[in-house]
Amino acid sequence: MEEKLTQRSVWEKISAKLTKRSLWMLHYCTGCGAVELPPTMTARFDMERFGINPMVTPRQADILLITGYLSIKTLKRVVLTYEQMQGPKYVVGFGSCTINGGMYWNSYATMKSLDRYIPVETYIAGCMPRPEAIIASFNDLIAKIDRGEANSWKEYYNNYDFYKENQNKVFEGPIETYNDIKADAALFKI
Amino acid sequence: MNTVLWIIFLPIILFVIGTFMLGYSRKFIARIERRYGPPIQQVFYDVFKLMSKKTNISHGWMHDIAMLVLLGGTLATLYFVPVPGFSYFAQYGDMLVIMYILLVPALGMALGVGETANPNGSIGISRALMMLAGYDIPFVLTFIGFGMLNHTTSMYDLMMIQQAGGFTSWGLISNPLLGIAALIALQGMIGEKPFEVMVAPHEIATGPMTEMGGKFLGIMMIQHAISLVVELTLYINLFLGGAMNWFEYIIKLFVLFTVLISVNAVFGRFRTDDAVRFMWKIPLPMAVIGILFIIF
Repeated sequence: MEEKLTQRSVWEKISAKLTKRSLWMLHYCTGCGAVELPPTMTARFDMERFGINPMVTPRQADILLITGYLSIKTLKRVVLTYEQMQGPKYVVGFGSCTINGGMYWNSYATMKSLDRYIPVETYIAGCMPRPEAIIASFNDLIAKIDRGEANSWKEYYNNYDFYKENQNKVFEGPIETYNDIKADAALFKI
Repeated sequence: MNTVLWIIFLPIILFVIGTFMLGYSRKFIARIERRYGPPIQQVFYDVFKLMSKKTNISHGWMHDIAMLVLLGGTLATLYFVPVPGFSYFAQYGDMLVIMYILLVPALGMALGVGETANPNGSIGISRALMMLAGYDIPFVLTFIGFGMLNHTTSMYDLMMIQQAGGFTSWGLISNPLLGIAALIALQGMIGEKPFEVMVAPHEIATGPMTEMGGKFLGIMMIQHAISLVVELTLYINLFLGGAMNWFEYIIKLFVLFTVLISVNAVFGRFRTDDAVRFMWKIPLPMAVIGILFIIF
């Protein structure tokens, strides 16, 4: 019975096969990793052959790539950006700072673990991860989408209170966002 | 019956051709940049991905309706453009009609983007309409000159005259000034560099598409693919002698498109005022001189 519930229909399998070939990436590079992205996009590693393109606005993007540490101020902007993205959306944490704070562990101004504030699909460990690691993690993400396991974006709709509580703790009070997440979840039946 | 089938399937055929051409242009530019590039069917994946997005934020009913105006305007245009095997409306519709309906998608986009209230979108729309003033005047003048020469304003008749006259009666060969002026105007019309001022991802975050996500952007991509083919077909029918069969038509489309994206690949982007100034400085006088040649 348990297995039957998680089985995907044929249409969902075909859909996953096609959608995994087109992922548009919004890169949020206020940390230090941005220098690894140009070689990933251009002739040396060329991520466009996997259908991954850099995009400029959150509305169009599928991947939110967050490089390096986030200070409390920039985390606020990340949350606003993340909420504007259209699901399915995948957050990729880049560098050890997003995993456990990295070398900024003792800092009062940066947050430590990204997945307490927004759901993260994959992490890239390292300081800094090389372009090969970025390509490898994107391939992991593509494989995950193909298997139908990349559903972390639904967590944000279903466990909104948990994420909101953690956000409010670091922001010292609720912030004004443009999206009503719970109403969206009801509207789109997530 | 045949006509009904054409009406149903023509948009789909042109969409397929248009997406392959867009994929081809991405591959072409990637090869120039010494990259491997995406597969040629990449644009299909993109459109499918956008149409299968789970959440689609609408900014109001005008935002929704404007998308239909956008797509509908493009579909209305394509029926008036003769393609091989189907020229039912084109025989009755005039070139002047086409010039009018071509403006409808731009207006539809302006309505929809106005509703989203994004400043980048508004800048993009103002740039698009500015660019329209830039390229439309030379393009209309070249068409008027060519019509004066052949004493007709029907695109179907112009195409037939060129078909009857053979290779030397093609607009581009018999009136090179008009042909080249229209080619430059066409570069602005399909919005490739150096006239890419409307989209300009690095300046104004893709302009009109800033607030469009999911299905909205999917419809815009479908519209872009169809309107690309329609605009290139306009040029082929006016200046490259039209086409009598689909093989010839597709060859001409891809050759013309390759010329345009080769320019696109090596140029940067003009500023908006520079782009309009260029359009009024080079193609416009060329078109006027071409018309003077025809009159005297």
